[in-house]
Amino acid sequence: MKYIDYMQLNPFQRFWYNFSNAMKAFPGKLKAFFVAIGTFFVKFFKGIGKAVAGYVSRFIKGDWATKVSYIIMGAGNMAKGQVIKGLLFFVIEIAYIAYIVFFGWGYLEKFPTLGTVEQGLGLNPATGGYELMAGDNSMLILLYGVLTIVLTAIFLAIYFASTKSAYQVQQQVAAGEKPISFKNEVKELLDHKFHITLLAFPTLTISAFTILPLIFMILIAFTNYNKAHLAPGKLFTWVGFDTFSEIFAMTEGASKGATFIELTKWTIIWAIFATVLNYLFGMILALMINKKGIKLKALWRTLFVITVAVPQFVTLLLMNQMLQEDGAINVLLMSLGIIDKGILFLNSTALVARITVIVINCWIGIPYTILITSGILMNIPADLYESATIDGAGPVRSFFSITLPYMLFVTTPYLITNFISNVNNFNVIYLLTNGGPTTENLYQAGYTDLLVTWLFKLTMNSQDYNLAAAVGILVFIVCATLSLVTFNLTKSAKNEEEFS
Amino acid sequence: MKRILAMIIAVVMMATLFVGCNGEAGNKGGATALEPEAGATLKVWAPDAALDVFKTQCDAFIAQYPDAGITIEVVAQGEGDAATNLLNDPEAAADVFSFACDQLNRLNDAGVIMPVNTNLAADVTERNSEASIAAATLNDILLAYPETGDNGYYLVYDKSLVSDEDAQTLEGVFEACRKAGKKFIVDAGNGFYSCMFPFTGGLTIEGLEGEDNDIQKFNEYDEAEVVATLEAFAKLFHEYSDIFFATDPAKISAGLAEDPSTVAAGIDGSWNAATVSSILGENYGAAKLPTINVNGTDKQIISMHGYKLIGVNAMSKFPNAAQLLADYLSGEACQLERAEKISWGPSNTAAAANEVVTSNPAISAILEQSANSVAQVNIASTFWDPMGNLGNNLFKEDAKYDTETLTALLDKTIKNIRDE
Repeated sequence: MKYIDYMQLNPFQRFWYNFSNAMKAFPGKLKAFFVAIGTFFVKFFKGIGKAVAGYVSRFIKGDWATKVSYIIMGAGNMAKGQVIKGLLFFVIEIAYIAYIVFFGWGYLEKFPTLGTVEQGLGLNPATGGYELMAGDNSMLILLYGVLTIVLTAIFLAIYFASTKSAYQVQQQVAAGEKPISFKNEVKELLDHKFHITLLAFPTLTISAFTILPLIFMILIAFTNYNKAHLAPGKLFTWVGFDTFSEIFAMTEGASKGATFIELTKWTIIWAIFATVLNYLFGMILALMINKKGIKLKALWRTLFVITVAVPQFVTLLLMNQMLQEDGAINVLLMSLGIIDKGILFLNSTALVARITVIVINCWIGIPYTILITSGILMNIPADLYESATIDGAGPVRSFFSITLPYMLFVTTPYLITNFISNVNNFNVIYLLTNGGPTTENLYQAGYTDLLVTWLFKLTMNSQDYNLAAAVGILVFIVCATLSLVTFNLTKSAKNEEEFS
Repeated sequence: MKRILAMIIAVVMMATLFVGCNGEAGNKGGATALEPEAGATLKVWAPDAALDVFKTQCDAFIAQYPDAGITIEVVAQGEGDAATNLLNDPEAAADVFSFACDQLNRLNDAGVIMPVNTNLAADVTERNSEASIAAATLNDILLAYPETGDNGYYLVYDKSLVSDEDAQTLEGVFEACRKAGKKFIVDAGNGFYSCMFPFTGGLTIEGLEGEDNDIQKFNEYDEAEVVATLEAFAKLFHEYSDIFFATDPAKISAGLAEDPSTVAAGIDGSWNAATVSSILGENYGAAKLPTINVNGTDKQIISMHGYKLIGVNAMSKFPNAAQLLADYLSGEACQLERAEKISWGPSNTAAAANEVVTSNPAISAILEQSANSVAQVNIASTFWDPMGNLGNNLFKEDAKYDTETLTALLDKTIKNIRDE
């Protein structure tokens, strides 16, 4: 479509045009995404292949010290005078072997089965008391198994590095250079290798507290760790993708499959409404406050933002009480004579409860949008509006042609993160409705439950840890897909910016 | 907030797992007579309201063994979440803990509860009521010490508004409430209370079945009868929707305390009895649950009746001391003291016959109701939510309550609870 044709479209047609373009481009983008993943793995395995090839060729070209350091780490470095570095490598090797022998192997060995001996009780005739006969603890086996595997991977990386280092120092000596001293090597860490020093601590902590538990939790989705197989009393084991097929199973009564689909639909509807309404109303309020001729601007701004001063969970719990059948809002409406009987805002039909939570969420979210947008709104050049007015544009036209494109351009990342955080908006739902209104058609969930609150209920109420882990993985997939789609759509919004 | 808490718990759980890798649990042989280990340090979980009583009772226990050098720490922990918290990290949890008896299965399945020492079991069985022992026993092994015999609910009413005669029938109570223009409160959307609707119609639970022993078993109930009873309840709730409120029982005492009061009657738990009776004073009325008229016959409402038990953690480093402490805390003297101070109904038969207990209207009402009750034992964790939903659908304004709808609802509820 030519630029001139595009300009003749009305806003809806333009939106549709951009939307359909984005949708047409979507399969291509998706393909590119998977190709990128593919290239990553190809690169990764090529890298490993290269490393192995280097490992072998270094062994062939290496002198005796380098060859020895393939078994005794650090031998090459020590032989060439890098005593401290060599010792460090050696200590790491000893520590790893000790770890495996005294601790890791016991768990790693049982990792494929997650334990075979169930814990039992035995009667001690001497005391008349029952005593625990310790068995395998599947959860600990899984946890320490993962830990051992991760440590082994790290050790292998260090091992490769040590053989490389031994060969490097051999080459340096052969070239007649003096091997770099340990002191200088440490100095380098503060100089041109400073990035390593800076990143070491975050990497270490993220691995220990995020990545390791993440692997552990993901693996739980592939076991039958549920209420019938609770550690330490019972064993659980690998079941492959059974848990996932259980989630999508359509059984009699409230099936998990129907629940998952229903909750996914509602989660997306909720995320769209919660994000868009907060954004629009927040911006409109900010515009109204910033309008010329409004007096006491600071006062209004403070008044609107003051709800932020009350912690979110307090607001939500208060709202929950106020919305009860005999709560403040119903009492007020009844004494004003508007209704005769209390309205069950949170506990009647799905629609009423869903509208209620979306509206209450506006109360919580709008102040933040006002804060964020006020500053940006003040940055829009006033002459744009002036010339628009001269050209005969009304306030609505100015809003859609100047304010909104400008705002979208600046706040797109905020919108997307906001959208994703709304998908996982636990507090509002859990504290306001706890998932209600209840229904016999959903498995362990109510009509306003998001996927994330369902996950919480599965874990805390019914101990279906494996189901919860699988749902968590699926939520991630939903979030990732939605982010991709929204990013694609905003690209088109940016194109529109170029047009106007 | 809850999520943050859960995350903290998860992190702490992981951290303690890393630290506490001692491997094997201690397998120490002991002396012939049960004596507490010297220098034992025990942690006790007790609900907030009973914290002070437990502290003094634990001190009395320590005084019994002056040479053993026992130290006891009493920590507040509600009985409702005891199993969940214990399972999160058994090694860091309390040695001795009180819990509601429906959690016994979970604790036993996870292997975190240590059965009662066989030297003590005979005595424990003898001194407690038969039903409470049954509630603490699984597969013929006595797993825990009965602590109370009254974890149930009863009808509480303001005598100045609802006469003792009105309190005999649900219709009478509702009519009296309407006349007074005040509320009747029952937590009808909560499975613990709402199960009384189908139970009154003849439904009852018969333990667990299935390969993993996690499927709720029901009796061969008469569907038409259960549905007719549900219909009768639903009809009453809709007819009296101006005074019928389904909400937290804590609102009963709150409503009674208002000036002028907004509540005339309600179905309340034994744990609130002390508060309510102090508010109502002379006008405090407590009775077994009323009857309901189903197609012309008055039916006694059947409730769920639970017991609180004291358990010993299987991972306890001082099992003998823990067993002795649990035995002491569940003994006659301690049960009587709790009945006196915090109105907890005893499971101990001697204590239950004591005047302190028989003169307490709430406890005697609940003990009377226990004759018309289903024991809260061997309940699947999937029981509560679908049952609560059943209750919700009986009083919701826009919910239909004809025979067909209710038959389908009952059918789905049973299916969801069984979750096969």
